[in-house]
Amino acid sequence: MTDLAFEAADAEQKRPGDTSGIGLLIPISLLFALLMLAALRSPFLISASGFGSAMIVVAPLILATYALMATVIAGRGTVDLAIGPLIGFINVSLIQLTSLGMSQSPFVVFAFCLLAGVAYQVIMSLIIIFVRVQPIIVSLSGYLALTGINIVILPRPGGMAPQFMASWGFGTSIFSPILLIVVLATAGWLLFKRTAFYTHLRLMGSDERAAYTSGIPITKVRIGAHVISGIFAGLAAICFTALISSGDPTQGTNYTLSAVTALVLGGASLAGGRASVMGSLLGAVNIYLISYSLSTFNFGTLQSYVTQLSYGAILVASLLLTLALPHIQRRIHNFSPPLFFVALSVLGLGVALHAVFDYGDLPEAATAADAMLFAPLAFGEAASATGGLLTYWLAVAFIAITIPVLLRMLVSGAGRSNLHVAVYVILAAMILLLTFALSNAGSGVLSFMEVN
Amino acid sequence: MSMQDANAVRMSLILRLIGLVLSAGIATATVVLGVQQGMALQLVILTGLATLAVAAWVWRFLALQFIPRENLSLNEDVPLAEELRSGWKNHRYAIIGLGILATLFAILSVTVNGFFNIYTIISAAILLAILVLTFKFSRYMAQYRSSFIGLMVLAGLFSVGSMTVEGFASGGNVKSMLVFAAFLGLACVGQTLVALLGGLDLSVPFVIGSANVGLAYLLSLGVPSYLAFAIILIAGGLVGLLNGVLSFKLQGQALIVTLGVGFAIAGITQIATILGSQYAGSLFGAVPEWLSNMAAMNGTTLGMKFPAVILIWIIVSIIVILALRYSVYGRYLYALGVNRTSASRVDISERRYWYGVHVISGAFAAFTGALLLGWSGGGFIGIGDPYLFMTIAAVVVGGTSLLGGVGGYGFTVIGVLVLQVLTSFLVGIGLSFEWQQFIFGLLILPMVALYARSPHIRTQI
Repeated sequence: MTDLAFEAADAEQKRPGDTSGIGLLIPISLLFALLMLAALRSPFLISASGFGSAMIVVAPLILATYALMATVIAGRGTVDLAIGPLIGFINVSLIQLTSLGMSQSPFVVFAFCLLAGVAYQVIMSLIIIFVRVQPIIVSLSGYLALTGINIVILPRPGGMAPQFMASWGFGTSIFSPILLIVVLATAGWLLFKRTAFYTHLRLMGSDERAAYTSGIPITKVRIGAHVISGIFAGLAAICFTALISSGDPTQGTNYTLSAVTALVLGGASLAGGRASVMGSLLGAVNIYLISYSLSTFNFGTLQSYVTQLSYGAILVASLLLTLALPHIQRRIHNFSPPLFFVALSVLGLGVALHAVFDYGDLPEAATAADAMLFAPLAFGEAASATGGLLTYWLAVAFIAITIPVLLRMLVSGAGRSNLHVAVYVILAAMILLLTFALSNAGSGVLSFMEVN
Repeated sequence: MSMQDANAVRMSLILRLIGLVLSAGIATATVVLGVQQGMALQLVILTGLATLAVAAWVWRFLALQFIPRENLSLNEDVPLAEELRSGWKNHRYAIIGLGILATLFAILSVTVNGFFNIYTIISAAILLAILVLTFKFSRYMAQYRSSFIGLMVLAGLFSVGSMTVEGFASGGNVKSMLVFAAFLGLACVGQTLVALLGGLDLSVPFVIGSANVGLAYLLSLGVPSYLAFAIILIAGGLVGLLNGVLSFKLQGQALIVTLGVGFAIAGITQIATILGSQYAGSLFGAVPEWLSNMAAMNGTTLGMKFPAVILIWIIVSIIVILALRYSVYGRYLYALGVNRTSASRVDISERRYWYGVHVISGAFAAFTGALLLGWSGGGFIGIGDPYLFMTIAAVVVGGTSLLGGVGGYGFTVIGVLVLQVLTSFLVGIGLSFEWQQFIFGLLILPMVALYARSPHIRTQI
């Protein structure tokens, strides 16, 4: 085959105008930067219970971001400011109904939460469509009304979550029902992306007039977007209830700001038509990691203000970076997000291992195979200062060699639809290493905590 | 039929006489009421004159709306059934709406104890009359429809409030309503200008809080009070400039950019001001005499018993309204808001105006925050929080479109007054804060829906 044919094949595989890949550059970079910082500052994160509790905390935010995403794609600047109060509303009404004797079976609870979310969103969509008030005003009025009624329903935090949720909020293991909800929601969204409805939704979001003239039933599509948003809001409320395992009328309101920030961090356009599920997922995780990393520093009374400051600064910075994307795109012609992810994962894993690895125990704890695997790392005598330094430099050298190789693969393999075999090998190795690190670090951290 | 044409028409003698008698009657009633309440004489005279002028102007304005219209052609003889049917077809929404209101009233009378008394009936009648009047007349107004409806809602709320709430129309309550309206109105100046360009400045509450704390901090350091005030104003303007510069290229997401800047500014201010002190979030110190006199409820202005902030708000409103209407800058702002491309064709710099409105917004937010220090006496970062939604609500309820190019500060003034009277009314009938918020949220929608509906998509193609 000639070079020309190769190029033609490449062009065929890479859809023209597909810029979703480059949009993930910033979220992925930020994710790993934050992950490394968090791992170095507080190795507890890299353990089974650390992951578990992080998952519990971040799940409502992820789902709230998905809920926001559905309506943002629909265009007209539909940033649903009421998403936070809505989560709070479902939470407090669920708690009050449970205390009034509503059935506590999971089926009833799920049905109630999803129906409440969908009902609210459908009413909003009907107002937007038929009363024709700007969506931002509708959501503003929803925000005020729901914030008020939440406190009326449940004046102060309290109450009990349904029985079956009791164990969800512990966050001691990675595989919890919460993780299942998040995975199913993400998978559901990815499947939804393959439907014609999603295409209609995107077209309506980017140009409503064009959508209308080309015969798309925009009324139905808009209502559909709100229904999906309502479903995710209901799921977010369930995760939120599991997290606090009680009712709280004011806490939910904070999710509005975090979810909008997460969405923007993930590269979505609030003008409509453009948002990616991976970006939103990463954005939500990034938001969590920012507050987690900051909480590891001790600012005393300044803590909340430093958090506020960095929140704002990161929000503005990530928005400004979206301006730089076209320029970056001109430089990098081929960019493959999965490969970039893998490349940074190696770096992140190295740092994480360094953070949680108990160097002192190594000769006894390691089996022969592990010793071989970690031979460069354990080269020097663990206790001596020079040995530690040597280990450090060897790790740096290892990373310095691995990263360029992966980057090279990243550029050369970007246009292809399937990845290099090397990537699968590296991914498998990484998962193995992570499991190993987690099983080790979990016990290590636990014993450390017992000592304290 | 535009304003300019209407001005050219002379009113007939009889109409002018009626107007004169009407306004004189209203002014006399005002003066009598003022004397009865024992207010200061110069205030009574001033109010009387102002009422006379306003009533005469309103009469002229309303009367002119009707003069040039030819009488509608009379219907020919039609059968009764046909007439009924067409009547139903033309007025079905009004009839259905009235039916719903009547049912609501009946339900409330039956369920709520003590609801059914003479005052409620009278206030319901007033509300109904205002509603009918509003719908009847608002169709004749093209340009000032939203302000007309706003004024009617204001009048209705005020009369219902004074009917049902003890002491609602008393001098003290009106003064306190005006003071709060002045704070909100000053904070809304920038928001209105930004909205005219199609943006939204969500940093307003944070700048208010930061200015509040920052001024208290500067005063506690011993900086001369006038200098400190000036520094805060300039700092507010600089924050606004930062907003403008950062969001210029990201106008679709200006909402989020300004929110992020606001967050950062609030964080920085607090870190800077409480470094080394253990009272996080609030600052206490001596507030200069002139500042508290300017903003506190018991302040005096030129010997009269109201704080200067009300006067400042009135002056600022007049300047902004006139500037938007008659100055080149004002007209260019509208031109940009309506259509960027055509504005740039006639050499209007979008960048300069975008920066400009944000600087004004920041400066006025800082001004409000500094005045609020005089009102409260202690710095508190959270003092601006209610202004996040209140400024947007006032702009929107007034009738300025968030898409840009339509509206003005005069509309916002009406919006501010409506919101303030509504709040005062809800407080007066004894609702707790969360119920107030709930009703507030529900009421914003119909108020906006009265005149700020966007056209159907099929008309935009």
